[in-house]
Amino acid sequence: MFTRFKHTTNVLFVDTISSVIGEYKKGEKVDIVLSPKVYWVKKMSLPVKSVREVKKLLPSIFEDSLPDGNYSYTAYKDKDEYMLFAYEDKKILDLISQKGIAHADIASVHFAQSEFEAVENGLEINEEESIYLKDGLLLVVPTIWLENRYPLEINNIKLSKHTIRLQQFGHIVDKKSLYTVGAVFIALIVILIVEIFVASSKQDRVLESKDALFSKYDLQATMFQNRSTHQKYSTIHQRQTKLREMIALCLDLHLQSSQKIKLIEYKNKVLYVVIDGVTKQNHEKLLAQLDAKNIVYKSALKNSSLKIEVSL
Amino acid sequence: MNQVNPLHIGGLLLTISIYLCFQLGAVKEGLREAKQEYATSEALAVDLSALKNVYANKKKVQSSLEHILRQPSLREAHLSVNRGDKFIKITSKEMSTRTLNIFMNKILNTSYNITAMKIKKLSERKASLKMEIQW
Repeated sequence: MFTRFKHTTNVLFVDTISSVIGEYKKGEKVDIVLSPKVYWVKKMSLPVKSVREVKKLLPSIFEDSLPDGNYSYTAYKDKDEYMLFAYEDKKILDLISQKGIAHADIASVHFAQSEFEAVENGLEINEEESIYLKDGLLLVVPTIWLENRYPLEINNIKLSKHTIRLQQFGHIVDKKSLYTVGAVFIALIVILIVEIFVASSKQDRVLESKDALFSKYDLQATMFQNRSTHQKYSTIHQRQTKLREMIALCLDLHLQSSQKIKLIEYKNKVLYVVIDGVTKQNHEKLLAQLDAKNIVYKSALKNSSLKIEVSL
Repeated sequence: MNQVNPLHIGGLLLTISIYLCFQLGAVKEGLREAKQEYATSEALAVDLSALKNVYANKKKVQSSLEHILRQPSLREAHLSVNRGDKFIKITSKEMSTRTLNIFMNKILNTSYNITAMKIKKLSERKASLKMEIQW
């Protein structure tokens, strides 16, 4: 039921001038071997232990030998020496596109150098040019220079593990800058997420404290109800304070010897004070004392009795 | 081999960052509002608790009034007390102005919710009293 099919891909040889060698059908994956014309190669013995260390040195090794361009570098160890490569991703990708090969169909990309290391004779890549191995380096030479040469049969070769990964957008931004900017953004995003988390937690704690506050002070379920109750008791408090102030004020009135307070009554939020022995002549003097205190009142003088009404 | 354009990744990261900035702003605004609301609620709760303790604490008001009414100095006033579930009514048909003065000083110097009161002078040294206090 779970049959595993062997996956084979066609190999294509891609050169700048000659047409593509190999069979390509759109939508099928292909392995590409690049002509020596599209990369720069050096074979060197270096006093370093690993390929990783070599890769760090590559830009400076190629510094003086490359024309201006945006280069990527790679290397691998070949016996006691290192094979060093410099190449331009965009130029190679443009070349592949020119040859009608869809980028999505590329399974792997190899340098001809790594794939023809053991070739003994010249291999024709077009009518005029052949590739030829000299001192361990694969070169493109005019076919007429070579006595022993055969047409290149690309499907017969066994590909090595030395591949490169072409950077489609390497010309827009270099990897280091991309990683730096990416790292900055990711750090910023992490900081923002942590900040949001911390602020949310704080908000939750405040809401929990508010619930605790309701329990502690035995408040009603909603703030609307509590505000209403608060308003009710505040009004009572204000009215009671005013009642005491008004009673104190009435008792402090400067009365003449004939004048006596006969009644102090408080009902329906109105305070009534009745003073006996008040005449038309002296009642204004009495009321002036209330005016001086900015009291809002109503008054009526009847049968020597002055009735003062103050709404609380 | 198709690769994602790094500018698209940069744009995406920038968009996420901007979105998170707005989210953080909203969460911080929520936190500020929650703190403000808590402070308001706390102030209201403390105030309301104090007011209720003074005007709505039935046991406290009753106990305090009973303490006043038991004063020996008020004995001669023959105060009549009508105790309800939500109120207490105190009346005296006739009491000396001196006793009335003592009684009123104690009542007015304490925070009771006096809903009705009538003090009528009967003579130079006598007065009548009607008072209702609620809680």
